[in-house]
Amino acid sequence: MPDPHRIDIHHHFVPQIYKDALIALGSACPEPGYQPPIANWTEQRSLDQMDEAGITTAMISVTTPGIHFGNDAAAAKLARQCNDAGAKMVADRPKRFGLFAALPLPDIDASLKEIAYALDQLKADGIGLYTDYESGGVKFLGDKKFAPILEELNRRKALVFVHPTSCICCSNLQPDIADAVIEYGTDTTRTIASLVFGGAAARYPNIRWIFCHAGGTMPYLIQRFIDFSGRDKAATATAMPSGMMHELTRFYYDLAQTAHPGPVGALREIIPNSQILFGTDYPYGAGCLDQVKKIADCGFSAAELAAIDRTNALKLLPRFA
Amino acid sequence: MAALTRIDVHHHFVPPAYRDEMNKKRPMQPCMQTWTIQNSIDDMDKAGTQIALVSITLPGLYFGHVEEARKLSRLCNDYGMEMIRNHPGRFGLFAAIPWPDVEGSLKEVEYALDTLKADGICMYTSYGDRWLGHNDFNPLFEELNRRKAIVYVHPHAAACCANLIPEVNESIIEYGTDTTRAINSMIFTGASARYPNIQWIWSHAGGTMPFLIERMVNLAKIPQVAAKLPNGLMPELKRFYYDTAQASNAVALGALKQVAGASQIVFGTDYPYRLSIEHVEGVAGAGLSKDEMIGIDHRNALRLLPNLAKLIKA
Repeated sequence: MPDPHRIDIHHHFVPQIYKDALIALGSACPEPGYQPPIANWTEQRSLDQMDEAGITTAMISVTTPGIHFGNDAAAAKLARQCNDAGAKMVADRPKRFGLFAALPLPDIDASLKEIAYALDQLKADGIGLYTDYESGGVKFLGDKKFAPILEELNRRKALVFVHPTSCICCSNLQPDIADAVIEYGTDTTRTIASLVFGGAAARYPNIRWIFCHAGGTMPYLIQRFIDFSGRDKAATATAMPSGMMHELTRFYYDLAQTAHPGPVGALREIIPNSQILFGTDYPYGAGCLDQVKKIADCGFSAAELAAIDRTNALKLLPRFA
Repeated sequence: MAALTRIDVHHHFVPPAYRDEMNKKRPMQPCMQTWTIQNSIDDMDKAGTQIALVSITLPGLYFGHVEEARKLSRLCNDYGMEMIRNHPGRFGLFAAIPWPDVEGSLKEVEYALDTLKADGICMYTSYGDRWLGHNDFNPLFEELNRRKAIVYVHPHAAACCANLIPEVNESIIEYGTDTTRAINSMIFTGASARYPNIQWIWSHAGGTMPFLIERMVNLAKIPQVAAKLPNGLMPELKRFYYDTAQASNAVALGALKQVAGASQIVFGTDYPYRLSIEHVEGVAGAGLSKDEMIGIDHRNALRLLPNLAKLIKA
């Protein structure tokens, strides 16, 4: 692939310490478990994939099932170890990798400490969150429980990459259908709805949000979102003083696992091209080059594609210019 | 009045006796309380709808008691047939069944299709923790397949996903998602291929299915999954029908067209939750060709319901 220029906003790294943590959980490991893409990941395989697909920079993050498996102390330790491992990848190849640091949520205090460590000490490029956390029931990102975290991320004008997870409500609902097929996308939609209708999106305007997979299923449900926002006009005016579309069109959306003319066309109907980012979900999916080829068939102009591949991300991550 | 050229496959009726029973459990929503046959007809006239295929919406028929579910299904179906008789050419019926009562449902299918000559059967996307492809449904699907029945599927807020987000009503995300789960269940359990004569109509432009197509395509590539799909994934998705209710816009219909083809999209309104005219205007603004819009108005539905052709003078 000539002219390496792409920035992959959605690329996973799997440090040995994380593999060990999932292996140690055994059958207690939440969905999707310790799978071959995770087990087989190496830094060199990421680099090979990136080279093949013209990716200069991959923004690395920890994938599902995330960091917290029920024990706060263990989660804080695992987040720190993953962040140190990611920071080392970045230090070794500063232009090839950037880091979205992991947090031990739902432990708020430890997560605030980890934000400071990741952004101040490690100089991570942003923070990786999951779409929901369990803390006395399922809580989405707009829940008041997370207000101290969002407050701090807003103060720091942080870049926040939100990755889906298997919501406890909906894990293993059907034996024939992996959670990733329906439930991941849906959970992204839920957390977007929680942030906009709960008011956090407007309350923390300096957080720069990136959502995976073209927004989950949000664009397809846009009529429901619009109708609902019009139902209680006073509540909507309080939660979203600038309106719902203002919030939805300032978020960023990656194209991982959605590079098909159907969903991409739907996304583009409501979201400006400036908010769309190249993402692969590596080591999930059919490889980085496959993703490049699929996006090429989604009807973008050359200028639009150049923005998606690189310049939109550069506005968020100027250090890679 | 303009020519009535539309066939609405997603239109709810509220038999007063059913409403009374529901109100005893939990008061129905305002639009359910105020529904009348005349309101339906007025809404249809405004939107150029010739005929509405009526169905019972949530909370459905079954509340843990088989006898109650049988009684409610029968009274709803009889009321629907009376509407059809009293307003010739304006209504059709997707009949209610008391599922998960297998025996009662098979009896009601027979009564509805043979005695009442209903146009099809209405089912919900899930019952408890069972989505439509589950083996529990085999005896019913066997019979519906034998009859080459139309099955209109309405979403349900699945038990898993009630009240997840305090500020957000379930209808915003969970209804559409449950339709996606039911479609995936039908396909990936192999039920869709096993019962090829059932003609499915899914609500709300397929829920969120078209947006998740890449995930489905990837799942279908796994060898043990592919083994259950003798026709592959796309032929199943392209034989289903999908209505326009609450999804009459360029975002959803554009994606649906890419995935399933414009020939599979049928007009639906979700009246009385939404007005029919909103859907006429929505479809008109969705960037479709004139020919595709005629297909959505009635031509696609007439492939399912050829007997209605004499009513449509387009």
